[in-house]
Amino acid sequence: MVEAFAVASGKGGTGKTTSTLALGMALAEEHDVTVVDADMGMANLLFHTGLAEVETTLHDVLVAGGAPVDAAVYERHGMDVVPCGTNLADFEAADPARLREVVATLAADTDVLLLDSAATLSSRAAVLPVVLADRVVVVLEPTIPALSDGLKVQEYATSYGTDTAGILFNKVRDADAIERIAPKAERYFEGPTLATVPASDRVRAARRNGRPLLAHAPDAEAARAYREAAATLTVRNRDSGAVADRFRSAVLPESP
Amino acid sequence: MKLPEGRLVRSRVVEDPRTVLVDALDRELTGYAVFEPQDAILLEASGRGVVTFRRGVPVVAYHTGTDRAGPPALADLAAEGPYRIRLFALAPADLETVHDRSTFRVPPGMAAERLAGDPALADRTRAAAPLDRLDGATESAGGAAESETGDADGVDERQPGAVEAFLDDAEKIEAIREQARAEAAERADEWGFDDVG
Repeated sequence: MVEAFAVASGKGGTGKTTSTLALGMALAEEHDVTVVDADMGMANLLFHTGLAEVETTLHDVLVAGGAPVDAAVYERHGMDVVPCGTNLADFEAADPARLREVVATLAADTDVLLLDSAATLSSRAAVLPVVLADRVVVVLEPTIPALSDGLKVQEYATSYGTDTAGILFNKVRDADAIERIAPKAERYFEGPTLATVPASDRVRAARRNGRPLLAHAPDAEAARAYREAAATLTVRNRDSGAVADRFRSAVLPESP
Repeated sequence: MKLPEGRLVRSRVVEDPRTVLVDALDRELTGYAVFEPQDAILLEASGRGVVTFRRGVPVVAYHTGTDRAGPPALADLAAEGPYRIRLFALAPADLETVHDRSTFRVPPGMAAERLAGDPALADRTRAAAPLDRLDGATESAGGAAESETGDADGVDERQPGAVEAFLDDAEKIEAIREQARAEAAERADEWGFDDVG
């Protein structure tokens, strides 16, 4: 079985990468999880996973005649991690449309695919992970711009045939306020509130240490919230082969 | 809400209301900002948002289109950029009458935190606010955030008045969603996603 989730938000700084890895580690307790840095223009998953120095990344797989997908897969923290490089020239040389094939290949051998997506909807490369995923997890903050951008992500996702798995409020500084905000937000989102994650210095410390939150501070309140989110997220059973075929046949153009 | 016109210190088009809040704080503006959204799609809910400042710290908010004041006015002026912004300086005495209207007040950090989504700017703004406007202050510092929650005492800096008012405005949310759907469809053609979904 396999299900692909895009972890997305229209706005930067909401903590998508932290959320992707935390959900990944929590889901990895029960599933085979593969995490892909699909934010190909502003990659940062490598810095959260101690993979900043690795030789081969997604960029190398996405160039014509590039490396095989396997060469960019690293086993870390109980997951398969596919980091992306940060070199702008490499991003320009990469062909985002090849992501479809990468996702199809990875889907054949995992239960859960998490695609850490770009914080923008302004280019084809940025929107592609949302198109390829089965469902999107929308990462929000309790602010007007974050909610507004999160709503846009959902509309794009729906327009391209991707469902909403749920919303995740991150960097929450006022527990009372979120109790009023979350139910109101749920009226507009198709999925439930998976968790509200408190703002935490330990999240920043984890990033500085190049480790996912659940590895760095598994007992932190934020870590607990992510485990709760993962428990709320019911992974759908699908046949891997069929899903891989679906990705391969997803009607996406070859690069122009 | 009537204000003397004041001295125009800045007029520009900005993408993000944050720019204005930073500008007002940096120049320790006593006066007001007029926010005029340029987004045609939301023009039905048109009108202008007005936020007054004392030494760079927001004091009251009002929206001419919805006639709402306080945190809901912050939600009303939230729109897709760009905005045309004008900043006016006034003598403190010219603001006294309007600043006395407690139902128009917004907590000092709310615009930065909830409208601009910038907690660091909110912290800076709160640090610049006089003590009598911060947590634990008496009713004169409170204002509309309280009336929204029915909580009559003290001021919770991070009261979600503006975010809740935003989420209560179903029409505005629908306008945002509709615009996103239209964009998604248009870009599907542009990006060659046309057979997807």
